Order: sequence, then C-alpha cells, then structure tokens
Amino acid sequence: MLRKQSLLAIAAGLALAVASQSADAAKIKIGFLPGVVDPFYQVMQLGVEAAAKDLGVDVVTQIPPTWGVQVQTPILDSMIARGDLNYIITAPTDKDQMVGPLKAAVDAGIKVITVDTFLGDGDYVKGPVKFPISYIGSDNTEGGRIAARGLAKAIGGEGTVYINSTNPNVSSVEGREKGFKEVIEKEYPKIKVLGPDYNLDDPNKATQQTAAVLEREPKLAGVFGTNVFSAQGAGAAVVNAGLGGHVQVVAYDATKLAIELMGKGVVSLVLAQKPFDMGYMAVQFAVADAAGVTSLPRRVETGFAIIDKDNVKDPAVARFVYQVPGK
Amino acid sequence: MTERGSRIVLPAGTSPSGLRTSSQRLALLLSRIWAWLFLALMILFFVIAVPLMSGGSVNFLTIRNSQNILVAIIPVLLLGLGQTFVIIAAGIDLSVGWVMSLASVLSALALRWAFDSGAPLFPAVLVGLVAGVGGAAVVGFVNGVIISKLKVPAFIVTLGTSFIVRGVAYLMSENTTVIGLPAGIRAYGNDALLYYIPGEGGGLYFLDRPEVSGELLRRMDTILPYPVVVTAFVVLCTMFLLHKTQFGRHTYAIGGSLQAAERTGIPVDRHIIKLYILSASTAGIAGFLSTLRFTAGSAVIGDPLLLSSIAAVIIGGVSLFGGAGTVIGTVIGALIIAVLTTGLVMLNVEAFWQFIVVGTVVIIAVLIDQSRDLITGRQRRNAAA
Repeated sequence: MLRKQSLLAIAAGLALAVASQSADAAKIKIGFLPGVVDPFYQVMQLGVEAAAKDLGVDVVTQIPPTWGVQVQTPILDSMIARGDLNYIITAPTDKDQMVGPLKAAVDAGIKVITVDTFLGDGDYVKGPVKFPISYIGSDNTEGGRIAARGLAKAIGGEGTVYINSTNPNVSSVEGREKGFKEVIEKEYPKIKVLGPDYNLDDPNKATQQTAAVLEREPKLAGVFGTNVFSAQGAGAAVVNAGLGGHVQVVAYDATKLAIELMGKGVVSLVLAQKPFDMGYMAVQFAVADAAGVTSLPRRVETGFAIIDKDNVKDPAVARFVYQVPGK
Repeated sequence: MTERGSRIVLPAGTSPSGLRTSSQRLALLLSRIWAWLFLALMILFFVIAVPLMSGGSVNFLTIRNSQNILVAIIPVLLLGLGQTFVIIAAGIDLSVGWVMSLASVLSALALRWAFDSGAPLFPAVLVGLVAGVGGAAVVGFVNGVIISKLKVPAFIVTLGTSFIVRGVAYLMSENTTVIGLPAGIRAYGNDALLYYIPGEGGGLYFLDRPEVSGELLRRMDTILPYPVVVTAFVVLCTMFLLHKTQFGRHTYAIGGSLQAAERTGIPVDRHIIKLYILSASTAGIAGFLSTLRFTAGSAVIGDPLLLSSIAAVIIGGVSLFGGAGTVIGTVIGALIIAVLTTGLVMLNVEAFWQFIVVGTVVIIAVLIDQSRDLITGRQRRNAAA
C-alpha cells in the first residue's frame, strides 16, 4: 500500500513538473462537470479553479442541479457540442449508465478524467472501461472500513447499526457500504447492520428514513451516513429524537454541520475526503497529458483526514473541513 | 384542473367573433403563435450570444448541437405527449415520471432475460419494448379505472399510483441499476440514420456507422439517432390521433364539458381509461428508449422529468381547464426547455437559470391562455359565479 502511494506521488510530482513548464505552450480548455450541488463538489471546484489559475488554463464549470444521468447527460452533451473543450473532469452519476455518454465525449476528441466516482469497476488498466485518463478520488472501500471500525469502537463493539446512503450504483457510496459491511461481518460478530436506505441526495428524506429506523429499532446504537446528505439527515434525526450521545453517528464528508454535531456529541467520527486535492490534481493531469506525459497513474487515491473530538480543534486537521468562502 | 365541465362551449353561431376589432384579432393571433415566436427569439439570442461570449470559439448552430437538442427533448416530450391528451380532457397524470422509471426497469429485466435465454438481439429488444410499454399500460389502465369508475380526482389517483409504481420499480430493480444487458443494444439507443463527416476523407453514410477513428471520428456528426426517429413517429401518430380521429374529437369534448359529452352519447368512462393508458404508454416508450440509450435500466431515471413535461405541455398552450391544446404546441414547449438547457450550458451560465426562465414562461403561457379567453368571450362558469 505504502509503496503504491509513494509511486503515485512520484508520478504526480513528475506530472506537475512537466506541466508547469509547458502550461503556456499549449493553451487547453477544460470542462468541469461534478455530480450535484453540494459542499463537497463546491470545494472540489475551488481546487479546479486554483489549479487552472496556477497553470494558466481555462475552465468551464457546469453543476447539475440534481443527481442523475437524466440531468447530467444533457449538460455533458452540450459541453461536448461547444467544440472548444480538450478535457472533461467529471464525477459520473452512475458507473454503468454514464459509460456511453462519456465515450461519446472521447469520440469527439475530448479526454475524460473522473473524480470522486468512477466508471465500470474503476480499474482503467484491466477493467471493462479503459478510456478515461485517470480516476482521482478516495479509496471508498477503505473509507467504509475506517467508518466501520470508528463506529464499532464508539458503540462498544455490539448492537445494531444502520446505513443511510444516497443512490444505488454510484461507485463512491457503493464502495463505502461494501467496506463498512465487510469489516462489521469479519471483525464485529456482535454488530448487526441494517440498510442501506437510499435518500436520492435529499437530506430531508435521509432525516425521515433515519427517524423511522430510530422508531422501529429502539435499541439502535449507531448510524453510518455515507455522504454529505446522508450524514446531515442522520445527524438531524438523532438530534430531533433527543438521542444525541445515545446513538452514535459516523459521517462521511466533513461539512460544517457534521463538525457542529460533533461538538454536540452526536457525531463521533467524521471522514474528511480531499475534494480540493481531487479537483487540483485533475487539472494538473489534464495539463500534463496535453504536454505529452504518458506515465500518469490511472488511479490516484487522495486519502482521508479522520476527524474526532480530540483533534477537531487542531488546525492541521481542521483545514480539511469543507469550507467555501462566502458560503 | 379537476373542474371538469366547468367551461361553457358556445355553439358556433353565437360566438362573438364578428364583433372583434383588428387589434383584438392581432392580440388573438399573437396569443396563438407566441410560443413559436418565443422559441425563435430564444434561438436567435443564443445564435448571437454564444459566439460573442466565447470569443468566436463556440457556435450554437451546429449539426451536433441540433442533434443534441433533439436527443435531449425525447424524454420530456414523450412524457408530455400522453399528458397532452389527458390535460385536454381536463385531467392530469402525475404518475408518468415514475411510470417511465418502471418501464425502464421492466424493459431492461425482460430484455436481459430474453437475451440470456438465447433469443437473438432484435427479438430480445422487442421483448423489452413489449414488457416496458405493456407494464406501463397496466398502470395507465388502473389509473383510468379508478378515475372514471370510482370518481376519484385524477390528481389524487395518479399521485397515489406514482408512489406505488416507484416502490415497485425499486423492488424489481433490487435497489440498483439493472445492468448486464447485451452490449449490442447500445447501437439501438445511440446509432443513427445518417452520419456525416465533413471535409477530407469524409462523406455521408446512410444507416451504416462508418468505422473511423481519430480525427475523422472527431469530425463525425450523428444525424437523426434512432430514438429521435421513434419519437418523431410517436409525435406523428399522436397528432393524427388528436386532430384527425373521433378519439381526438371525443377528447376535446370531454375536456370542454363532461356532462355535455355524456349527453351526446360519448362513452366517457371508457374514453378516460384509454387516455390514461395512452399517457402511461408514451411514458413507457420513454423508459424503454432510456434503457437502450444508457444500456441499463434505472428506477430513478424518470424522477426529475415529470414537472418539466407538464411545463412543456402548459407552455405549448394546453389549457389546464381542458378543452384546448395541440400536439405541436407540446413539441414547441419541450423544444423551448431543451434549447434553454443547451444554450445556457454553451453560454457557460449556471444551469439553475433554466428553472427561473421555464417557471416564468409557464406563468406567461397561462396568462396568455386566460387573456385569449377574455378576447374570444369564452367564459368559465366558476369565474362568472
């Protein structure tokens, strides 16, 4: 694992070095199409824009108002039809359904980099989908494992826990569910897992679903919210039920709300992903590819910052909380 | 929308049209063609603004973009076509979005089953079509029966079935995207009648996707993809049905006045059942086509489309009080929404502006519909009371 990471770091560093030299030579234009409006993608957009400024490239950003292939595809098609984009950095909203529409971008001469979510099985070397340059995102299965161990520890290794998730067949949250269940099954035989329920990226729905499970399972000990909306909803339901401190919540994604709830003792662990890194590196990769770099890693894992109540005040950790200036 | 029969349809001879002034006639004409004008002006705006804003590197009027717009309107339009009939008959069908999702899941499951049991690709696709549209039609039948026989307001019935259908779609898809479909169906959902490669080494190809790569592939335009052709065929069928047949005349009559339609001997209950079957079926076609396009079935695919499809119908001039509207109006309404989305992306304006513009246009459409009634002297009983 460590060796792989350092190899990636070297490759990325190399890419950056080459990229910064030739940035002026080839003026490229990049389209950025994330999955939906939320703090995670807004921070990623900051990373994209910062890199674009540093490397002197143009970026065109379009954020889908709701999650789904039926919303993302027409926007993607219009970006392709502009005819002036060289690269598209995107978070596919379905790992299978978005293969065709993104292949059409490649056919039109636009190279694709996926961030946060991937296509197929995420292995662009040996897997069923090979055309994207790279996947830059979290190792979500590992994130799920970390969440499982954190939650298991918080509830003392036994009881019933519940997963609230966003959408089926989305590579990121699917990985988190898988990793979570895997660890509980193998390492914590006294813990029973319920769910996942899918809230379709709607925090109100997540609240409702979690509230219903709290009613149904009076002995529920913990909740795992697999992304921004799930964690917000799960946290709100626990607070509404007056069960803060009795039901532990582990939140994927470090929104300000999740950190606030940690202060109140509702959320015991927050996994901060590094969306800024994802956005910044994706632009670097595009610039490097344009400059002729051929050894870009096909998969980059950006890692996590694990936030709990002991380190939340530490500036080195707190910087990973998703903050968008002015919002 | 539930005030069935609330409009008095004046017999031909008593219409006060003879008393109209020329300015009234102009206003009337404008009220009929304003959606066309709005679409034309919007396209003109994008044709000028897009190159201007991008420094000349992006153009709105390209073959690729025109085809994009045609592909983008498909789901909204198909949901809107059946809805047009239902709303003309003074009903509403709130279930179409989730019926589309159900059809997408059903067609994917059936297609996969047929192919895995050894059927060749084309028959397997037909099995998918029958399963998707057939399953949707069953929902339409249930809607129609409850509305016409049990006299429950359409709004409530279709709201109810939309939830039921949603649950069924999730359960059938086992809560995930239905994958494992034969790769060949991609061609059905994405290939086209014509391919055009401009410039050197290019040419025009009919029904035969040229095996090119690199620069030639980049320049290739895909013209009239099959789903667009299928949708155009459905548009023609519904135009014929609404404007040339007894079925269409009965639809207007029921929307004009339910009681009057009953008195003239129209089999109202049976007609209403047929209308909801039709509405669900066009949604079923939309679901089937989306399965081909994305080579997978999805229980969430129609969710974001319901409100856009109703907006398209209203913008197109179908009166929510029933009795008035055309198929071509709905096509224009769907085009306005699709052109907006595409144009705003090309201008690099945030997509959210689309909602503000569409919302405004919907309200204008209803205002124009009402002012037309004022000019023509048509009245609503409830408005007069």
